[in-house]
Amino acid sequence: MTVSERRTRLLRMAAGAAFLALAVVLVLIVISSSSGGDGGDTKLEGVSAVDKLLAGAPQHEMTLGNPKAQVELIEFGDLQCPVCAAYSEEILPTIIETQVKKGEAKIDFRNFTIIGSESITAGAAALAAGKQGRGWSFVDLFYRNQGGENSGYVDDAFLEAIAKGAGVKDLAKWNSERANLTAEVEATTQEAQNLGFGGTPSFAVKGPKTNGVKLLGTPQSAGELESAIAAAG
Amino acid sequence: MSFPNEGNLRRAIAFFAALGVGVAAYIAIAESGGGSPVCLAGGSGCKTVAESSYSHVAGVNIAVFGIVGYLLLLASAFLANDAARFGGFLVALGGFGYSIYLTYIELFKIEAVCQWCVGSAVLMTILLLLNAIRLIGYAGTAEGLPSRA
Repeated sequence: MTVSERRTRLLRMAAGAAFLALAVVLVLIVISSSSGGDGGDTKLEGVSAVDKLLAGAPQHEMTLGNPKAQVELIEFGDLQCPVCAAYSEEILPTIIETQVKKGEAKIDFRNFTIIGSESITAGAAALAAGKQGRGWSFVDLFYRNQGGENSGYVDDAFLEAIAKGAGVKDLAKWNSERANLTAEVEATTQEAQNLGFGGTPSFAVKGPKTNGVKLLGTPQSAGELESAIAAAG
Repeated sequence: MSFPNEGNLRRAIAFFAALGVGVAAYIAIAESGGGSPVCLAGGSGCKTVAESSYSHVAGVNIAVFGIVGYLLLLASAFLANDAARFGGFLVALGGFGYSIYLTYIELFKIEAVCQWCVGSAVLMTILLLLNAIRLIGYAGTAEGLPSRA
C-alpha cells in the first residue's frame, strides 16, 4: 500500500467514525428525551428547580416555613395524585414565594392516602425524609417525578432516588425509619376523613382569626389561597 | 494547505490532555468520598450533577472514564505514527460526543450545570480539533514529515 493509499484509507475511516459518533449521540439524546418525561423512574427531573423553589424556606418535619408563623396552611395530599402534583408545580410556588418565605405563613403537608397502598409507602418515605428536615423537598421532588397511579413505580429504588435527590443525608436512617411511619400516614388520612374531605388535595387554614381550623376544600387558584391565608392572620 | 508542525500539535495535545486528567481526577476524587466538586463560581450545580443518577454508568463514576480517555490522549501525544494519530482522533471523537450528550443531560434533564463538566467538555473539544488537524495533516506520513495534501 502506498503512502497516498494509506492516507486516504485512514481519512475515510476517520470520516466514518465521525458520522458514527454523531449518529450515536443523536440516538442517545432522542432516547433520553423520550424516556425521561413519563416519571416513575430513577432518572430524576426537577432536582434543581425544587432546590431553588425551597431555598430560603426552613423545613421542620413536614412543615415548610417559619415554625413561628401565625398562619398555618394545611395540605392534605396523596403523593400519587396527579392533581396534587399540578398544584405543587403551578399554585403552591406562588404561596411559597409570596407568603411562606416572608414568614407570614407556614405550610404543613399531611398524607391523605386515597389512591392505593403505594401512596402509603410513599407517604411514610416522605415522613422519614421530614425527620431529617427534607420532607418538603421529598414531596415536591416526588410530585415532579410521579408515575402512573398504582403502576408499581413506588419501589425502593425510586424512593431512594427521590430521597437522595431531596438531600436526605443519612439514607440508612431514612430507610429504617420509613418502615415504622405507616401508622402516622394512616392517622392523618383518618384526620382528613374526620374533617369531611373526600379528595386530594384538600386544604385547611389555621390562624389568629380562624377560630380553630377553617376548611378551604380545593381552591382553584393561588389567589384564593393567598386571600384565605391573609384573612386568617 | 499548510499545517502546524506535528511536534507543536503533539505538545499542545499533551498539555490539554494533562489538564483534562487533572479536571477528571478532581471530579472523581471529590465524589469518591460521597461529596461533590466545589463550583468556583458558587451555586449548587456541581452538587446537583454529582448526586444525579447520570453521574455513574454501571456503578462507575463517569469521571473515571474521563481520566482513562485523557490518559490515552496523553499517551497518543508521545508517539508520532499513524496508530497514535488515528487512535488519538478516535478517543477525542468519543470524548467529544459523550460531552455533547452530557451537556444535553445537564441542561434538559438534571437542570443544573457543573462548571467542571463544562471545563472538561471545552478541553475535549480543543483536543478533538487538535487531533483532527494532526490526522488530516500527517496521516500516512513518516514521523514528523508533513503530508503534501
